[in-house]
Amino acid sequence: MSNTPSAVKEPAQSSNGLRILGWFVFVVAIVGGALFAWFKSDSAPNLAWMAWTKPTAIFFITIVCLLLAMSIWEAISPGSGPRIGILRFETTRGDRLFLSLLGSAFIHLAWLGFVGPDLWKALGVSLVYALLVFTLV
Amino acid sequence: MDKPLNNKAWFFVLPVFFLVAISAIIPLMTVVNYSVQDTFGNNQFFWAGTEWYEEVLNSSRFHDALIRNLIFSGIILAIEIPLGIAIALSMPRKGIWVPVCLILMALPLLIPWNVVGTIWQVFGRADIGLLGRALSELGIEYNYATNWLDAWITIIVMDVWHWTSLVVLLCYSGLVAIPEAYYQAARIDGASKWKVFRYIQLPKMQRVLLIAVLLRFMDSFMIYTEPFVLTGGGPGNSTTFLSIDLVKMAIGQFDLGPAAAMSIIYFLIILLMSWVFYTLMTNFGVDAPEKEVD
Repeated sequence: MSNTPSAVKEPAQSSNGLRILGWFVFVVAIVGGALFAWFKSDSAPNLAWMAWTKPTAIFFITIVCLLLAMSIWEAISPGSGPRIGILRFETTRGDRLFLSLLGSAFIHLAWLGFVGPDLWKALGVSLVYALLVFTLV
Repeated sequence: MDKPLNNKAWFFVLPVFFLVAISAIIPLMTVVNYSVQDTFGNNQFFWAGTEWYEEVLNSSRFHDALIRNLIFSGIILAIEIPLGIAIALSMPRKGIWVPVCLILMALPLLIPWNVVGTIWQVFGRADIGLLGRALSELGIEYNYATNWLDAWITIIVMDVWHWTSLVVLLCYSGLVAIPEAYYQAARIDGASKWKVFRYIQLPKMQRVLLIAVLLRFMDSFMIYTEPFVLTGGGPGNSTTFLSIDLVKMAIGQFDLGPAAAMSIIYFLIILLMSWVFYTLMTNFGVDAPEKEVD
C-alpha cells in the first residue's frame, strides 16, 4: 500500500504533522520539566515504598523514551504504518513494538533459565530480534 | 485514509490513563523493583540482581505449579466448551421457557467465588455434606481432603458448575443471532441436524466461542479463591496452582523478592496468551475472501 505514488505527502498534510509534533514536544517538555521540578523540591512525593533502584529506573525510563519516540514517529508520519508481514495479518508500528518488548522479555528469561546470568548477550539477541520484528512482521 | 483526525480526543483518554496508572502501572513498577531486591521488612532493601528470576525459573515448585495449572485449564476448556455448546443448542429459542432458562443459567454466575468454594466444601464433606455422605453411603470412598484425585475431581466439577453457564450464554447469544433464512435454506436442501450444526451454527458461533475460550482460559489460569477455600492447595501440593503458590510465597513466607519475580513471569505468560487470543479474535476471518471456503 505504501509503495503507491499516493503515499507521497501533500505539503499541507506534512506541515500538519510537524505542527502536532511541535505541540507534542512542547507538552512533553512542560510536563517533564514540572515533574522534574516537583521531584527536586521540598514537597517531593515519598517514593521509598516503591523501592526504586537505578537499573529498574533506567529500564522504565527506556520504555517511556521508546513510547515517546513512537509518538514522535507517529506525528511525523501518521497512520501507524499498517502492513501485512510474515505473520499474515496486519500489524502497526505499535504492534511491532509490543512484540519486540514481549519477545525480548522471553529471550531474557530463556537466557537466564538455560544459559546463565550474563544478560548482555541476551540484550544483543533481543535487539536483533526487535530489528527483525520491525523489518519483517 | 479519509478519517478525520482530531487529537483533542486524547483528552477523553486522560482519566482512564490516570486510573490505570494508579491501579496497574505504579504497582507493576513496584513489583519489578521488588523482584531485583531482597528485603527483611522495615522497608529496607538489598540488591539481588537476577538471582530471584534464576531461582524461580529453575525451581521444581514453580514448574509443577505451572504444569498443574496448564493441565487444569486444558481440562476445564475440554469440558466446558463442548458442554456449553450442547446446552445452548438444546435451549428453547422462543416462548415462556426462554427467560426461565436464561435466569437458571445466570444463577451460578451471580455467586461470589469464596461462597462457591464454601458451598462445595460443605457439599463434599464425608460426614455432613450431601455429596460426600451420599457417595460414602453408596460405598464409594471419597475424601477431597486426603485423596488428590478426589480433590481434582471436586475442583473441576465445581468450576464446571460455576462457569459453564458463561459459555452457554455466549453460545446462546451467537445462536439466536442466526437469521431464520439459513435454517430455511438448510431445510430445502434436506440437511441433517449435524450438517446444520457443522456448516451453519458452528461457523456463526466462531467469534463468541473464541471469546468464551479466552475468558475461560484466563479465568482458569488465574484461579485462586475457589480451590483455596475448598482444598487450600492440598492434599500435599496437588491442587496448588500458580496463584495459590504465589500467595503462599509472598504472604505466607514473606519472600517478597522471589514472589515478585514469579509474578513478573506469571504476568508475562498471561500477557503472551492474551496477545495470541486477541490477535486470533481480531484477525479471524478478516482475509476470508482470499481463502477457499470448504
